[in-house]
Amino acid sequence: MVGMVGLLEGLVLQSGSAGGGTDSAPFADAIGGLLGFGANMGPGETLIAAFIGAFFIGNLMLAMTGVAGPWAKRKITAAFTDRLAVNRVGPFGLLIIVADAVRLLSKELIVPDGVDRPAWDIAPILMAGSALLGFAVIPMGNGIQLADPETGLVYVFAVSSLASLGLVTAGYASNNKYSLLGGLRSVAQNLAYEIPLVLTAASVVLFAGTLQMSEIVAAQTEPLFAIAGIAIPSWYAFVNPFAFVLFLAANLAEVGRNPFDIPEAPTEIVAGYQTEYSSVYFVLMYLGEFLHIFLGGAIIATLFLGGPAGPVLPGIVWFIIKIWAVFLFTQWARSAVPRVRIDQLIEIGWKGMLVLAFANLVLTAIIVGLIA
Amino acid sequence: MANPWIAVGALALVAIAIPFGMMAVSALLRPTVREQGKSAIYESGEIPTGNTRIRFNIQYYMVALLFVVFDIETVLIFPWTVIYRDAVGSAGLFAALVPMLVFIGVLVIGLAWAWRNGAVRWVKSPRAEQRRREQQQ
Repeated sequence: MVGMVGLLEGLVLQSGSAGGGTDSAPFADAIGGLLGFGANMGPGETLIAAFIGAFFIGNLMLAMTGVAGPWAKRKITAAFTDRLAVNRVGPFGLLIIVADAVRLLSKELIVPDGVDRPAWDIAPILMAGSALLGFAVIPMGNGIQLADPETGLVYVFAVSSLASLGLVTAGYASNNKYSLLGGLRSVAQNLAYEIPLVLTAASVVLFAGTLQMSEIVAAQTEPLFAIAGIAIPSWYAFVNPFAFVLFLAANLAEVGRNPFDIPEAPTEIVAGYQTEYSSVYFVLMYLGEFLHIFLGGAIIATLFLGGPAGPVLPGIVWFIIKIWAVFLFTQWARSAVPRVRIDQLIEIGWKGMLVLAFANLVLTAIIVGLIA
Repeated sequence: MANPWIAVGALALVAIAIPFGMMAVSALLRPTVREQGKSAIYESGEIPTGNTRIRFNIQYYMVALLFVVFDIETVLIFPWTVIYRDAVGSAGLFAALVPMLVFIGVLVIGLAWAWRNGAVRWVKSPRAEQRRREQQQ
């Protein structure tokens, strides 16, 4: 125990020097350098360089969602239920991704009677767009981090919670009772688990002493202790496993996966807020949902798993492995855990998770204070 | 050093351009077949009855109110977490920790009050209660 406190002390002292970074946009700088804009780019040049970087990141995430949605999700669920899943089109059924993309985009867009038209159209765009926006400040390794503002962590939470707005808009504007109930359920759920999520992240900030994503990653590079000559890095998942488990659970609720999938609950309210959406709007909602799982994975990787850090392989590969591990976890929960009822959900959120998140925050503050 | 918010703005452009691009592609590909009855809202295959603006559980509103309180509180906690370690170094553990403990304590008392008054207990409808009693008999 004493040795552990000593280790934590060393950790706090070394990461204490990490605070006080400055705003920057590393990826935009790198692309600007490639384009020959020089060291001091003007706003226009920055926008061009950043737009190219943003296009790259947007398409990377789209590609990952494309693999995850039509293919990986089916394969994983099939593996859990002892089936084969897609295996006819291309090797391992991989070309189903192309086939499904064309199939879904070429569906007829049916506009139901009495939908609240501008709101009904805005909701899917908001859901897909807000999830994509969060990736702006995530350090993905190899210098791929579009923007690195000092308030990065707060920005991520602010942007990702915009999706709740999309959910309730979709539910309300659809002119459907199931959609309305689904929208209300999803917003109640997101509100209940948002606070434990953010408070748990705050307990990580207590260790790191900064909100800047690159600094949080940098604070996790030092070795925590060594087992048989292999240095275990001071990832916050190892430093504070309790916060890690809390965050994983709250994240499951935020992305609406079992046991917290009552916003959709196919056996109760058809498909919740997305009942009346078809064609490209359905694709956008589906996309937003998967982007949110990946954004949740990216936040978990950055806060608790050392971001892009890892041996041998380049950073971006480790980053993708980590967020796919979180995706696999959500799919595992989806196959293995039964759904909770709405009253249980509210009680777990407000009476369980919130109290535990407060306890975690106060305990972390006391421990950090005692050894600092 | 480029301004990070310009980069965020660039991603915002992409985040709007991607959905609109997909919508444009879909508009070129998809058919539009006008047909009566297709546009009826889905209600398990039945003809929809009544208005969509149904009465729903008051609890959704109670939970949202509670959320506003705690959300503002998390906003106030974040600056403290950032400066906490420096503050322990310069002002000592007691001065850095105790005010926040008092603040969180007030909130926890508020949560306990809401808890006791049933704000976070899901209200069951009288009909469901009645049905449950009938099943027990």
